[in-house]
Amino acid sequence: MALKGAEIMKMLPKTNCKECGYPTCFAFAMKLATGGANLEDCPHLDPQVRAQLEAAMAPPIKLVTIGAGENALAIGEEEVMFRHEKTFFHESGIAILISDKESESDIEKKLKRIKAFDFERIGQKLKIDLLALCFESGDKGKFEALVKKAYETTNFALILICEDTDVLFSAASLCADRKPLVYPITKDNTSAAIPKLKELGVPAGVKGQSIEALTSVTSELKDAGIEDMLLDPGSKNMLEGIRDQTLIRRAALKKGFRPLGYPTIAFPCFMYQDRFKETLAAAALMIKYAGIVVLSQAEAQFLLPLLVHRFNIYSDPRRPMTVEEKAYEIGNPGENSPVLISTNYALDYFIVSAAIEEANIPAYLCIKDTEGLGVMAAWTSGKFNGEAIAEFFEKYAMADKVKHRKLIIPGVAKKLVAELEEELPGWEIILGPLEGSDIPKFLSEEWKA
Amino acid sequence: MILIGEDLNVMTGEISRVIKEREAGPIKECVAGQTKNGMDYLDVNVGPVKKDPQGTMEWIINTVQDVTDLPLSLDTTNPVAMEAGLEVCKKKALINSASGTTESRETMLPLAAKYSTDVVLSVINDAGLPADADERAASIMDSAAFANELGIPNENIWVDPVLLPIGVDQRQVTSYLEFIQMLQDLLPGARSTCGLSNLSYGAPRELKSLLNRTFLIMIGRYGQHSAIVSGFDQELIRLIRGEVPEIVELIYRAMEEEDLDLSALSQKELEYAKTTQVLMGKSLYSHSWLEV
Amino acid sequence: MKYEPPLEKISVNIRETVLGQGEKSVKIGGENTLPFHSFEGSLPNSAGLALEVLDTQPENWAPSVLEPFEDVVSDPVKWAKKCVEVYGAEMLCLRLLSTDPMGKDRSPEEAAEITKKVTDAVDVPFIVWGTDMEDKDAQVLMQVARVCSGKNLLLGPVVKGNYEKIAKAALEHGHAVVAQASMDANLTKELNIALCKFFPPEKIVVDPTASALGYGLEYTFSIIEEIKQFGLVDKDKMMQMPILCDFGGDCWRTKEAKESREQGILWEAISGITFLLAGANLLVFRHPESLKLIKEMVI
Repeated sequence: MALKGAEIMKMLPKTNCKECGYPTCFAFAMKLATGGANLEDCPHLDPQVRAQLEAAMAPPIKLVTIGAGENALAIGEEEVMFRHEKTFFHESGIAILISDKESESDIEKKLKRIKAFDFERIGQKLKIDLLALCFESGDKGKFEALVKKAYETTNFALILICEDTDVLFSAASLCADRKPLVYPITKDNTSAAIPKLKELGVPAGVKGQSIEALTSVTSELKDAGIEDMLLDPGSKNMLEGIRDQTLIRRAALKKGFRPLGYPTIAFPCFMYQDRFKETLAAAALMIKYAGIVVLSQAEAQFLLPLLVHRFNIYSDPRRPMTVEEKAYEIGNPGENSPVLISTNYALDYFIVSAAIEEANIPAYLCIKDTEGLGVMAAWTSGKFNGEAIAEFFEKYAMADKVKHRKLIIPGVAKKLVAELEEELPGWEIILGPLEGSDIPKFLSEEWKA
Repeated sequence: MILIGEDLNVMTGEISRVIKEREAGPIKECVAGQTKNGMDYLDVNVGPVKKDPQGTMEWIINTVQDVTDLPLSLDTTNPVAMEAGLEVCKKKALINSASGTTESRETMLPLAAKYSTDVVLSVINDAGLPADADERAASIMDSAAFANELGIPNENIWVDPVLLPIGVDQRQVTSYLEFIQMLQDLLPGARSTCGLSNLSYGAPRELKSLLNRTFLIMIGRYGQHSAIVSGFDQELIRLIRGEVPEIVELIYRAMEEEDLDLSALSQKELEYAKTTQVLMGKSLYSHSWLEV
Repeated sequence: MKYEPPLEKISVNIRETVLGQGEKSVKIGGENTLPFHSFEGSLPNSAGLALEVLDTQPENWAPSVLEPFEDVVSDPVKWAKKCVEVYGAEMLCLRLLSTDPMGKDRSPEEAAEITKKVTDAVDVPFIVWGTDMEDKDAQVLMQVARVCSGKNLLLGPVVKGNYEKIAKAALEHGHAVVAQASMDANLTKELNIALCKFFPPEKIVVDPTASALGYGLEYTFSIIEEIKQFGLVDKDKMMQMPILCDFGGDCWRTKEAKESREQGILWEAISGITFLLAGANLLVFRHPESLKLIKEMVI
């Protein structure tokens, strides 16, 4: 939110009348600041002050939705410049470019590949969000056929890219209920576009040759009552992109500059011919604020790293990242394979699972739900003590999975040994190494079951 | 400032053993020592008491009350043990603790209502530990409203804003400071408390107490009502009881003045001034904060 | 409303560190603005990009990362030469893996001799890296410091448990050190304070320990970003050292990197660009192709 509770408080009546349902005006202000209350709940607010507060409390970067239904992509409402200050909220959308100049069979192939793209990683679905359909053929019929095909045969949110404003809106009218992003809206076609944008109710991709050029277009659209926009400052390469995106976000967040208070779109596909460079630019611009990145291809070996990257950057640093509780099978473990246990704090999981893979010894890695707490904190709060682990063993029938009775526990959890010997009679409790990097060596030396 | 002595704690191995063996001597010694040192409350931390919660709790509370008249803070996550303890407490007890998580609210808060006791209510909720002062405010208001519904007045709620180790997350320490200043505006009449020693977890042993003491003076200035502290930290007790006013003054000045002149200070004063500055978040914490 | 570019000026600099000697020496750091912010400040030195050389045959390397070095892996001198002459590396990181007491356990004397040979063979600056075994690293790096006196090597990792020994030897023989504190800004500051009591701050590079894409990258990213801001924005003198990220090896150990050559190169290059954006001043790569990509992108 744009305002802190204490700042909101200054504008409230300060009568502590409790009619809003909160004990004090301050309490109400704090609730407003965290989005848990509405201004309407205060019956004594001067209408003029309310309007002022509403304006001031509006998010500095508007939330814009492209597409409809479950594949709609919402971007914007970001609150910080740097991830560690809070978190980045709305993941950058990934769009794949399809030109109407590509042959029918190429388009078919590409669509098939995009639709088939389906990755899951630690319980997270990694997916493509949008198709960016580009008018290059000069043939309106071809473009419309492409738009129709994408609209009818897929559920992706759409971006329509077309320099000819008439063709652009004619195509948009074919899929208006999908809320496609229409691009580019520039200073030259703004007035022609305004009535169409209003009529179709679709978001506008505003393009300017510079940041300054953008502001006149966004102001004009805003004055006409259009607020669903994305910004493209026309950056020609990664470095320009980082500069432009940084300045746009800074102007919006730190200066409260409304004409730039919208999410952005970037086109790595037009910046670089080279596939690697295009992907790298997309990775950089995901960190540096692009709401959508448009890519030229959908090959798995280029997309997978990018999707994992997006997942990393948009994870919330305030909450420990967690993985699903279960008995993970690493390699192809059998009844003689080692059994290790750790918490569901994602970093613990990554380190231990990577170490087991490196050791090249198939194993069962038991991941106990500790709500993301690490070993010691989880032990203290009873989520990773002897009893909890014994329950896990019962639930996942670990005793049936292996013939031996040896359990390797994290090296820091010395206190667990005695507890587990009591709770898991018959099991030998082995203290693992202190450092994850020592696990491969530990396993290859210690594991002689 | 209400001081709650923390030393009767099952997490220290010795106490764990004597509870198991029903050996009253060491418990009485620990209680008598803290009482003599001027604690206002005593915390009785028995952990989850898996075996015979009722009997254990009764025995330990009676043992404690044999040697002290101080009110007690009952520290267990086991509601059965908690209720058994409340039954035998002679004075208005403090339930330590409830949090905003659904489970804790629903098990601990009804006990506070039933026995008309005080209750520690932490800002932790189902989403975990709030990330900043505003989120703490939102969380505690929800939990306090729940408690009020059960008939627990604000005056019986001892809010625990949750103090994290400074070496783990310095920003959480400054969030704490921000939050404690707004508490009376949020929940008029509510009390507050915290586990002070958690602040210095992981810090060099010889510097832990300096961090704890300084912070306690700081939050006292911001309206903190009570804290759970070591009942054997003589210097802390002297400081908080107003026996070293010049240090308290200095800490206040270091809280306020941007560029406190450090040149005229004695070694001891310098330590308090630097510690205050790092606790205020004016510079990045490191274990050697006194050396820069 | 008129748009004014919201530029932010920073009044302090990251320290500039010189590595190596002579014509091929490399300077890193020295900036007074956030990474890539040349539009509002000065970044006098581009990031140092180093390639790895091992002192022993690599084990379990994926074929696609072994391939560029296949003909030279048995000889670190040839390996170093190929990195410089064929792949254009401007800096190298010699890893003294064979000194690992749990492995070949080569003596400090042997390690120093190899280091001498390799660093004599090419004239680019060197990072010389131990095996993360505190005591052995101390013995090895002290000996390396002596035998390679005056070469201005960057010796690491130097940690809380061995910094005095290694840094004293580095000081005596004119080398720089890498101060390593794992993923923790507070401990990074702590170690710097300890080092600076006797060691020149401009000869310290910090290593918050990097991790690979998908395996904790976001933690390192945010820690580096914070460290850089403590230095530049909060003007904390103990946080103004250039930052090293040693991540190539971690990337190529992931199963995703091993799946295909392209994916592996991207795994490493995306990690690299991420660390540069966070504020890293020196990167250690394993695959020459990833290094080349980054180099072409950032110039």
